[in-house]
Amino acid sequence: MNMKVLTNGILKENPIFFQLLGMCPTLAVTTSAENGMGMGLATTAVLIASNIVISLIRSIIPSKIRIPAFIVVIASFVTIIGMVMEGFVPALYSALGLFIPLIVVNCLILARAEAYAFKNGILNSALDGIGMGIGFTLALTILGAVRELLGNGTIFDIPLLGSAFKPALIMILPPGAFLALGMLLALNNVVKAKQEKARETKSAA
Amino acid sequence: MKEIMRLGSILLLICFVAAALLAMTNDVTYPKIMEQRQMANEKARKEVLPTADTFEELTGDQLTQIQAENDKVDEIFIGKSGDQVVGYVVKTLPKAFGGTIKIFTGITTDGTVSGVRMGTGHQETPGLGAKAELPEFYEMYNGMSAEAHIGVSKTAQTETEIQAISGATITSQAVTDGVNFAIDAIAVLKAQ
Repeated sequence: MNMKVLTNGILKENPIFFQLLGMCPTLAVTTSAENGMGMGLATTAVLIASNIVISLIRSIIPSKIRIPAFIVVIASFVTIIGMVMEGFVPALYSALGLFIPLIVVNCLILARAEAYAFKNGILNSALDGIGMGIGFTLALTILGAVRELLGNGTIFDIPLLGSAFKPALIMILPPGAFLALGMLLALNNVVKAKQEKARETKSAA
Repeated sequence: MKEIMRLGSILLLICFVAAALLAMTNDVTYPKIMEQRQMANEKARKEVLPTADTFEELTGDQLTQIQAENDKVDEIFIGKSGDQVVGYVVKTLPKAFGGTIKIFTGITTDGTVSGVRMGTGHQETPGLGAKAELPEFYEMYNGMSAEAHIGVSKTAQTETEIQAISGATITSQAVTDGVNFAIDAIAVLKAQ
């Protein structure tokens, strides 16, 4: 049961490819695989922490004011993590610090608080945070890798396509985010449709 | 009415706890953060003016006069090797795509740019404007003349122009603005 909570976020309910959550930072920062991964990891940390706290205090939050309460919790967390990182691990901050303010406006965290942590126990909420976080990180890294490869000829700054390849700069510019995401979602739907068809023929036979 | 009071006080309680936590974290981390930034500034000064061993901050009337002409000039340091002045490091605060950026410009006494760095803590777009942090970009300024303003070209680097980062013309222009503010500031300083 717990394992299912964890794996749900990675594949079946992947926040980017299935729930289409957290699109604003997704489109903005996935200009390279490294950036996608950085954003993903920073979000995962905040997501786990906020899921745990919201699950902890869910009994004292009346449902009428849950949204402002979530926002206060998330925004405080993001700020605290940012300050602690800058003060004590400056190397990490210089790599991830750029993404910290973007997390405040990430609807993925609010959505998980609302849809999961507010209704479930601490352990499951933490697992949900880890699962969704990994799923989000994976999706952002893939999206970043696709854009970096087409737009710059590299993945994680490693040149892969040789000097004959003319990078399509548009892929690392904002329109490229929509193009790459659209293509990945289409691919995703094709795979899903095929799986469903296979299941249908199996059950018919 | 009673319900509103109840909800209001719960929200107040949550905000109170959050504010208290933030205040405590700030108390602990603020001196550390200042220390880190100080160290980063020190390092940036060394990098843009490698020939200097010590830096002396310019204060008083001289600085006020320069700032009166251009308020984007934040700090000026005089770089010395032993007793001899070898150059200046000017910290300027031009406006870029994601807000103000910090630009450190090193200018030697013989009037060339010895180095340019964008300070950490900027909000430029990762993969585009943030590329101004990379050597491929900032090394273009090295050795350019600080007698006249530096320009930005979209196509190719020339003797007096740097090549803009593709997709990040605003950031490239902002960094160059910062360098040009520094050039002006040193011109004023030398005239004093």
